[in-house]
Amino acid sequence: MTAEAINAAHTFVHYHCSCPDVNRSLSSLTLKENEAKNNDKKIVGDRDDDNNTELNKNREYANTTKEDALFPLDAYSPRTVFSTFALSKLYFCEDCHQIRCPRCVQEEIVCYYCPNCLFEVPTASVKSERNRCARNCFQCPICQNTLTVVASTEPPPVTPATAVPPRLLPNAAPAPSPPIPTPQPTGAPYFLLCGVCRWDSQEINMTFEKATGLALQLQKTEDEKPDVKEFEHLKEHFEKHLRTNAPSTTLSSHLFLFPGLNGFSSRYGSSGSTQNQPKSDDVAPYEAAVKVIEEEGLIEELKKLDNPNAVTTLTQRLDQLSDQPYKVEKLQPQRIHLRTKRVKRCRTCHHILIKPEQKAQAIKFKIKLVALNYIPKITIAKLPKLTVNQKTHVILKFSNPLDVEVDIKLTTKEKDAYGTITMPTSEFAISPYNEVWEYDDEDFGTDNRLPSRGRHSQAASTHGTEGIFEKKGSYTSIILEVTPLVEMDEFRFPLLVTYTYKATIEISTQDDAKLDKLSTNKSDDVDKTDTDIDTSTATAETSAITPSTNADTDNEPEAILTKEITKSLSFCTIIGLGAVAKVSSAPPTSSSSKTPTGITAC
Amino acid sequence: MEPQIVYYPRPEYIETDTGNKVSRKSVICGSQNIILGGKTIIQTDCVIRGDLRRTGVGHAVVVAIGRYCLLSRGSIIRPPYKTYKGMFSYYPMKIGDHVTIGEGSIVEAATIGSFVHIGKNCVIGRFAIIKDCCRIEDNTVIPPNTVVPSFSIYEGSPGVCVDELPECVQDLYESQTKDFYTKFQPSN
Repeated sequence: MTAEAINAAHTFVHYHCSCPDVNRSLSSLTLKENEAKNNDKKIVGDRDDDNNTELNKNREYANTTKEDALFPLDAYSPRTVFSTFALSKLYFCEDCHQIRCPRCVQEEIVCYYCPNCLFEVPTASVKSERNRCARNCFQCPICQNTLTVVASTEPPPVTPATAVPPRLLPNAAPAPSPPIPTPQPTGAPYFLLCGVCRWDSQEINMTFEKATGLALQLQKTEDEKPDVKEFEHLKEHFEKHLRTNAPSTTLSSHLFLFPGLNGFSSRYGSSGSTQNQPKSDDVAPYEAAVKVIEEEGLIEELKKLDNPNAVTTLTQRLDQLSDQPYKVEKLQPQRIHLRTKRVKRCRTCHHILIKPEQKAQAIKFKIKLVALNYIPKITIAKLPKLTVNQKTHVILKFSNPLDVEVDIKLTTKEKDAYGTITMPTSEFAISPYNEVWEYDDEDFGTDNRLPSRGRHSQAASTHGTEGIFEKKGSYTSIILEVTPLVEMDEFRFPLLVTYTYKATIEISTQDDAKLDKLSTNKSDDVDKTDTDIDTSTATAETSAITPSTNADTDNEPEAILTKEITKSLSFCTIIGLGAVAKVSSAPPTSSSSKTPTGITAC
Repeated sequence: MEPQIVYYPRPEYIETDTGNKVSRKSVICGSQNIILGGKTIIQTDCVIRGDLRRTGVGHAVVVAIGRYCLLSRGSIIRPPYKTYKGMFSYYPMKIGDHVTIGEGSIVEAATIGSFVHIGKNCVIGRFAIIKDCCRIEDNTVIPPNTVVPSFSIYEGSPGVCVDELPECVQDLYESQTKDFYTKFQPSN
């Protein structure tokens, strides 16, 4: 049981996105790689045995070209990790009728909010607040946790002179409060305290008179920092120059739309268009506004260090980008970075796939086109332990999220260097999704065409039911026979899934021609599924046009019609079945999950 | 991987009218101060401290847990406390619907939203606020007073946001918790 549980942790069903980005790079890369390999072979000759076997393997695959064409991706290539995704991460564009992955969507920021106080920051002030929370939210410089504002009702402990760190030259100078404040009855002075590492801002002599608007006080010191000043100066310098030049920003990359990067945007954006103009060279020589004072003796000091904790870690340094100090005493609390809510669009047709509610705390979406609601979900329902050269029955469960019946057609690489996969059935149907079924778990066998069969009944009474493990509600489980040939940590295989269903859509007559084209295109993929489809409306791929009930639209050229078309989509998945064990000396028949007939040596 | 059916010994669990399944081997203190929304499972060796309530006033809800929640083996639910203006007091805790709390986790949060997954061996600090649709990975320590915003994955000690959850996480966790409840069956 435990071994099975461990095994289960490594199983996955990942869906391949056919977006041009991934594919183009993939195909070109494989080509290049093959070429490189061939070249290698020429150079190295037959000295490198490993390389040779690898090549032979490749050639083996190349021989089965027909299957290769179907599977653009190699299940064992480390690259597939970047082109395959869990179903939950994928989107579905209704207009393109395609799966969209996080890489082939475009994002637009709709809302900025602080992840700590959940305050929504208006876009206008995001820039001036430098993408950080301008209220009372701070990050601990030591452990990056949130700091809390604490009132010191009793006088703050007078820190001994040795413990007081030398004050930072540019940063700490305009500290809003005197170094040793006097206690007041209101609870002031206030300081920041970390609940995790017990760091408090008194260590760096940072205290506040008021408990509110701390960020405003801190931002003043931020503005004094040399890098901020320098950036402002640079911006000023180039802005007046660019304003006189053509300011047309031709590049529409979204990077340039980030607030705070406006300086960059105008600079880079116009540089393309003004390249040929001699005017652009007339930039007045720039002179730095701030001189960064280099610390003397830092290296000497670091050399003498015996306590590694006295030096900042990389994370700490990177959190304080302005000066990236080496000494822990120079670390300062940082205001918390804002987070965003984003609209996601299909990059091909620019339709919105994800549109969140504007409010920071809302979890609802105005538009949510996720793949989970459109394409069949595949789960591994039963997975016995895989052993080399042993045929094992794996159960794959296909769930239908649509409210129409879906026909599934599966294709897989039957044989590769790592194992063989046989599918007793490759074409089957899944009943439509019906929410009621979710609740009565057992009593729905009546209107099912394949009434609830007992577990593992492989009755081949109807055509195409052989190899179907179970058919219930909105899912169908099928049996795959897997025979791994080598011992490995992860057995994977590709599976090409084609699903077909009939959809009724409303269209205007103008779109008719387009639709006809579409339906003929689509119908190429459609097989004469001779399984028992509810043929209540029309035959396989033809369309029945029925005018809508609206009488007043009759005379208009754009009458709304409903039309039934057959839609189909193919997508590739990579299924990981976990580790393959060596043939053990103990007889594996003890595992009950294996079917008695399933174990045969190859 | 599809979750398997979990069988439990029938005499060990009490099933309430609303479908809650509470193990007799769990420690439930101050049960009059605890509300279970229905179809919530409380497994063996869980501890819920409903007795730690605000001093003074009579009846008060200390721990409110929503529907389709799962408190796995050995998890501890304890209301948060603090000393405010010199008065030590416990404060109520609210847990939303479809919340999974992993084995051996200790929760002292002020609020946990709906559709939240908390892994194994986590510590959720006092007055932490976990919003809807969050995931806390195994062995994470969420420090006191931390706010975990929606659609974030927290990991590490102290827990930091490492990733965002996909948009469909609500449906995902809902079906997962419902699935677990239906598959949590008595063995005969």
